[in-house]
Amino acid sequence: MTYAGTQEVERRAVEYLYPRTIEEAVELLARGSGEARIIAGGTDVLPDMRKKTIDPRCLVDITRIPGLNHISVVEDWVVVGAAVSFAAIKDSPFLVHRVHALVDAARSVGTVAIQNAATWIGNIVQAMPAADGAIIAIALEAEAHIVEGVRSEWHPVASLFCGPGVSRVDPTRQFITQIRFPYPRGPWGTAWSRIGRRPSLVLPILNCAVTLSLDADCAQIQCATIALGPVAPYPYRARAAEAFLLEKPPQPEVFAHAAQLVQQEVDPRDSIMRASRAYRLSIIPSMVSETLEMAALRAWNTVQ
Amino acid sequence: MQWGELLSDTDAAADMSIPEGARKRRDMASIAFLLNGQPLALEVDPATPLVDVLRDDLGLTGTKRGCDYEGECGACTVLLDGQPVRSCLTPVGKVAERSVCTIEGIAGDGQLTPLQNAFIEAGAVQCGYCMPGMLMASHALLERELRPTRTQIIEALDGNLCRCTGYTRILAAVQLAASRLRGENTIFPSASEKPLIGGDIRRSDSIEKVTGRTKYVEDIVMPGMLHARTLRSPHPHARLVSLNVNEAAALPGVVRILTAVDIRGENGLGDYSQNDPVLTPVGGTLKMIGAPIALVIGATPQDAQAGVDAIQVEYELLPHTFDVKEALAKDAFPIYDNGNVLTADRIAHGDLDAAFARSDVIIETTYRTAYLEHAALEREAMLGYVDEVGRVTVTGATHEPHWHRGYIAATLALDLDRVRFVTAPIGGSFGGKQDPWPAVAAGLAAYHLQAPVRLVYSRRESFDFSPKRHPYQIDYRIGATNTGHLTGIRVRIDANTGGYDAHGQYIPDYAITASGGPYRWQAVDACAQTVYTNGPKAGQFRGFGTAQSIFALECTLDELAARLGVDALEFRLKNAIDQSSVSFLGYPVAESLGYADVIAAIRPRYLSFLEEAKSFNAAARSGSENKALRKGVGLSGMWYRFGKSGSLRIEAHAELAMDGHFVVYCSAPDYGQGTNTMLSQFAAETLGISRDRIELVNADTALTPDSGIQGASRSTYFVGGAVCQATRNLRLAIDATASELLNCAPSDLALVGENVVCQCDPAKLISLQKVAQEFEQMGRPRRVPGLFDLSPHFPRETRPLYVPCFVTGAQLAEVIVNMRTGVVQVLRVVAAHDVGRAINPVDVQGQIEGSVLMGLGAAFLEEFIPGASTGFGDYYLPTIKSMPDIETILVEVPSFFGPEGAKGLAEASMLPSTPAMINAVCRATGARIRELPATPERVLQAIQSRP
Repeated sequence: MTYAGTQEVERRAVEYLYPRTIEEAVELLARGSGEARIIAGGTDVLPDMRKKTIDPRCLVDITRIPGLNHISVVEDWVVVGAAVSFAAIKDSPFLVHRVHALVDAARSVGTVAIQNAATWIGNIVQAMPAADGAIIAIALEAEAHIVEGVRSEWHPVASLFCGPGVSRVDPTRQFITQIRFPYPRGPWGTAWSRIGRRPSLVLPILNCAVTLSLDADCAQIQCATIALGPVAPYPYRARAAEAFLLEKPPQPEVFAHAAQLVQQEVDPRDSIMRASRAYRLSIIPSMVSETLEMAALRAWNTVQ
Repeated sequence: MQWGELLSDTDAAADMSIPEGARKRRDMASIAFLLNGQPLALEVDPATPLVDVLRDDLGLTGTKRGCDYEGECGACTVLLDGQPVRSCLTPVGKVAERSVCTIEGIAGDGQLTPLQNAFIEAGAVQCGYCMPGMLMASHALLERELRPTRTQIIEALDGNLCRCTGYTRILAAVQLAASRLRGENTIFPSASEKPLIGGDIRRSDSIEKVTGRTKYVEDIVMPGMLHARTLRSPHPHARLVSLNVNEAAALPGVVRILTAVDIRGENGLGDYSQNDPVLTPVGGTLKMIGAPIALVIGATPQDAQAGVDAIQVEYELLPHTFDVKEALAKDAFPIYDNGNVLTADRIAHGDLDAAFARSDVIIETTYRTAYLEHAALEREAMLGYVDEVGRVTVTGATHEPHWHRGYIAATLALDLDRVRFVTAPIGGSFGGKQDPWPAVAAGLAAYHLQAPVRLVYSRRESFDFSPKRHPYQIDYRIGATNTGHLTGIRVRIDANTGGYDAHGQYIPDYAITASGGPYRWQAVDACAQTVYTNGPKAGQFRGFGTAQSIFALECTLDELAARLGVDALEFRLKNAIDQSSVSFLGYPVAESLGYADVIAAIRPRYLSFLEEAKSFNAAARSGSENKALRKGVGLSGMWYRFGKSGSLRIEAHAELAMDGHFVVYCSAPDYGQGTNTMLSQFAAETLGISRDRIELVNADTALTPDSGIQGASRSTYFVGGAVCQATRNLRLAIDATASELLNCAPSDLALVGENVVCQCDPAKLISLQKVAQEFEQMGRPRRVPGLFDLSPHFPRETRPLYVPCFVTGAQLAEVIVNMRTGVVQVLRVVAAHDVGRAINPVDVQGQIEGSVLMGLGAAFLEEFIPGASTGFGDYYLPTIKSMPDIETILVEVPSFFGPEGAKGLAEASMLPSTPAMINAVCRATGARIRELPATPERVLQAIQSRP
């Protein structure tokens, strides 16, 4: 065991490259044979290099590839490019008016100066169980466009997490160029909530994203998603509670019951710095039901 | 490459374009970007954090490092294409072909921006370390939005940590700047129109701080400067079995490794600590994580760190505990041979049994507080070198340069006159930088190397090794009658001082003195002891050992008031002592006491807050909105003994310089609270001249007298008093000489501009320069001493060890609690403090606002957990989002002895903040919180376990 209070790190210089196309980026990764790595905002890459959890020889900065810094609506999908920062999400009038939970989640990541650099996709690739970007992504049932070599495929974001900090996406070989999530036409609302030891700049005790699709009369829930962290080794979808909500009326009692179901199905841990398992479990019912109520209100608002 | 070279480097300017396509270079790459409007190109590793390139390669030291490249503090905030980013998380490769703006670039030559001016005028600048980052974030906001709402400002500045100001004046400054930029003619109280004493005086050092020009130790570069890093114990308790430095010493870049055998003199910190070794010898015991073993001096910090990592160490692990109760157990492993109790103290008077027998209600409570970290934005940093006359010199932060000099000299076995300590600009202390270890270590290195050696802690190292606030367990038994009169008080306090003394020996006295408050007691029995554990050493921290006791007392009083069914404010007032009462200590206090006045000052707000909370809660209970929310209003009083033990005779000097300006010499370091400004105000007022004619030479052992330790809020009262006396003496000498030259009575003379003028006949005048020449010719000293001397008032034979000079204050807090989650938000705070006389009101208010936020941190957010806490990522300092609206009320009950009636205030204003907020939570919820911090979890637990 050595003393950990150090800050200086001896390191060789890296190559820092700006590919102009996706193909070029992928080629640079291939040529790097595992020693080249995608960098977007860099807010996690530098600390990880300092901690020596990664040691790339070459950083492939994808933020200047044309087209990757766009937020667009394509048919029934919202598409967000790999270079889109949380600040850009916060500033998008479309998202501000239509996808409240995503904007609120973006607001929850660090602070303004972090949000100006950090990207949604980078946050997902970090694969932390309570990453705000990951929780909102799985609630939105987002899909990631993963490019590797000559192959490119869409994968559900929810399928990309192996464990705390371990992603199925390997940024030394693979590159998520964009993510997309379905944008329903009917009454649809999203909501976000987050509790931490202080109001901001802190890892969450719990965060929670929900989406609700209602029928045209707003009388019945057609689809519900509930995502939470950190309540499992990976960003968690509360499937039992979601299933319960199907075809139920969007009423407080229904939401309260669903929230109870969430409490029963999750398995949070004790954290000395944040909160105990018992506390996390005890606030889930009110947190989830209030978040569902907010999403229902917003869904209702979309048709008023 | 240096900044100056770059600007003149035309090749660099021409090389702005980056080759088409992906650029591939081996090793270093050339990165071209615009820096503060100037094109430049650098050969640099592209993964280097931008902050290092700015500071280390370009010498632009305005951008600060405050955390360990974690993006947690905001001090390194710069603008990238106009948007604020953390330069510690930005690889320099990312700025290629883009535009970077730093604090050095936001203003034109010599001109301050409206924003910088607003920060100065609003009193938003204290230690200054967070200022560059704060200004860059504010600048970006105002570029985007000229009518920012309060919420937008808070959003923009959130995460830029400031430990001094409580953010209140920073918010006000941004609002002021915005209104000016909109072209509104916003009037702010102008410094020049107000009197010197009691007017809002602009800080003497704030221009340097808002421009990033202030050179803190980490910003100073000397030719041939080496860097020191420290080998520290990773274990809380271990014997140092062996140490092999051979391999490390052979590394290229490692210049020297120093261990305990290299210490010629005393391997300790003198009277600062009975047992803190400078470097633990082989065979010795390491009592805490971070205990120092060896110093490695390298050509670069990286070289030094490589040396540290290469030292082979063998430890024998010993049983350890962080817990006082465990350390006190009969079978506890002895941390020291004489047992685990460091010191104990007691105050007892009156018949306690009889007092309790007369009581209608007796309550017993137990309160617990946490280890707290000062978290000054500037980390511990010292620069050792040999000065021009061969003295081993160390520059950095201190509360007492002469003590630091003494500790260094003792360790090096040198005479005092061969050692010098120079106080540098300090980026916050709050008591933490009283620890002399870094100064002694830097002195040791400079002595052995005979070269400049800089030692800068990492934030992690600062967390591990800088002293903390002592965690207390406090047990009260307090009685009262049904008429609401206090009877007897029994207090037992166990304080955790961690692995080393670090002045923990004085804690029992401070703990029990505070524990009875400014109240009448019929009988008292108060005991406290300081106990060793293997936690971090605990030392001075704003209100040294008193904030914990006041917290427990004031919460217990609220519990008692509730039991009696009496109003919490009236209960305190009814039992408040006055000037002539026998105090808790068993004798009356020595200074004027304004406790009843401060309580009365908050009463109107207290009553209106209570009404508002009542109607809010009624609506929340019955309505559909805010169902889960409850408001509560709490208050707390306090007393704080300022001044410390020791000499009552404090010295300062005043000099008439040959050119006719004035120089004041004293030793009262300014950690950011405004001491330098306050001392120049006193000097200017006493001499009867404007402040710009005063030069202050402060806290350099080669130049200034020893003015005693600046702790316990002594500076204004004691050193301010000495400066007044010195300048008074000098004025008398000037008048005497001038009256001879002008042939008029000394009492007729006035200082006008650069002249001494006879008021009866303005034609009779002589320049101060001439007076100085006359002094020289007549052999009269131009530099005269002044003594502030309380000893005639308090003869040694009859005075207690500490002269009982107290300040008092009372605060009111309004909170809102989420009953489902336990999350608390503090909405408003009213802080009334008896300051005697506010010398610079804007600075007094700034101190109080900063204290309130620090008290809020202690109440809800902050806890250092030994073995677990690592830095700003897991130690939750209040950000601007936690800031309540703070109203300060300055109550001025003039002191009997202090200069201009002033008393010592700064740290005392923290004492009532925490208990007022906790009492407010209890009023809101009906649940009692007895352990700090009141995390959401603890608050919810208390709510759920209500009877």
